[in-house]
Amino acid sequence: MKEVIAIIRMNRMNKTKRALAEAGIVSFAARKVMGRGKGKVDYLLLKGAEEGIEEAIAQLGPGPKLIPKRMLTIVLPDALVSVAIETIINQNSTGSRGDGKIFVCPITDAVRVRTGETGDAALDDAPTAEK
Amino acid sequence: MLMVRAIVRPEKIDEVFAGLMYAGFPAVTKMDVFGRGKQRGMKAGEVTYDELPKEMILMVIEDQDKDFVVETIIKAARTNSKGAFGDGKIFISQVEEAYTVSSGTKGL
Repeated sequence: MKEVIAIIRMNRMNKTKRALAEAGIVSFAARKVMGRGKGKVDYLLLKGAEEGIEEAIAQLGPGPKLIPKRMLTIVLPDALVSVAIETIINQNSTGSRGDGKIFVCPITDAVRVRTGETGDAALDDAPTAEK
Repeated sequence: MLMVRAIVRPEKIDEVFAGLMYAGFPAVTKMDVFGRGKQRGMKAGEVTYDELPKEMILMVIEDQDKDFVVETIIKAARTNSKGAFGDGKIFISQVEEAYTVSSGTKGL
């Protein structure tokens, strides 16, 4: 079982949801988050800040500027992970910075609260599950 | 790769972000969370607060950077040299793969 954590642009949320549903992945959790990546900071700005020039330091700001994104958390059986990653990348890739990142983390166990089932049976998107 | 999830005080978030950025880790995600620790919230006068607002920072780093990043966060997030209840916790978990959406390639 793997957890796929995808951070994507806000305006791609609906398209991604629909594409995932069409690919057979219906269950997920979503949140609004704020964040940034490596970003682009002008080399000259950094150099100026290092040398202690006031204007350069002021331009950099006290901390990184955060941008609102959407975070999707999907727990899947191993077999569906590559499908999920492909779908998310296809729907979200514009080629420019800020498209997002996908992380794949191991999950030790999952439990369905309603029935107490554990393991892959607890997941809605098991390849053998009926839709 | 490791995922670092740090829960810190909201008033310390700017300091933590600045500290991380100047330490060379600009890529962070934050979310608003509510929670409590072993102290079961806090009491201010007549009112008991069961859940306290915190900020959760999420970042994915290479294994070798772990100690440095944890140190940086602790230094920035602690209230003073002695620390206090409510300063937060840091959790480290495994990340097996990472993909960059804009290029579609594997890797941070």
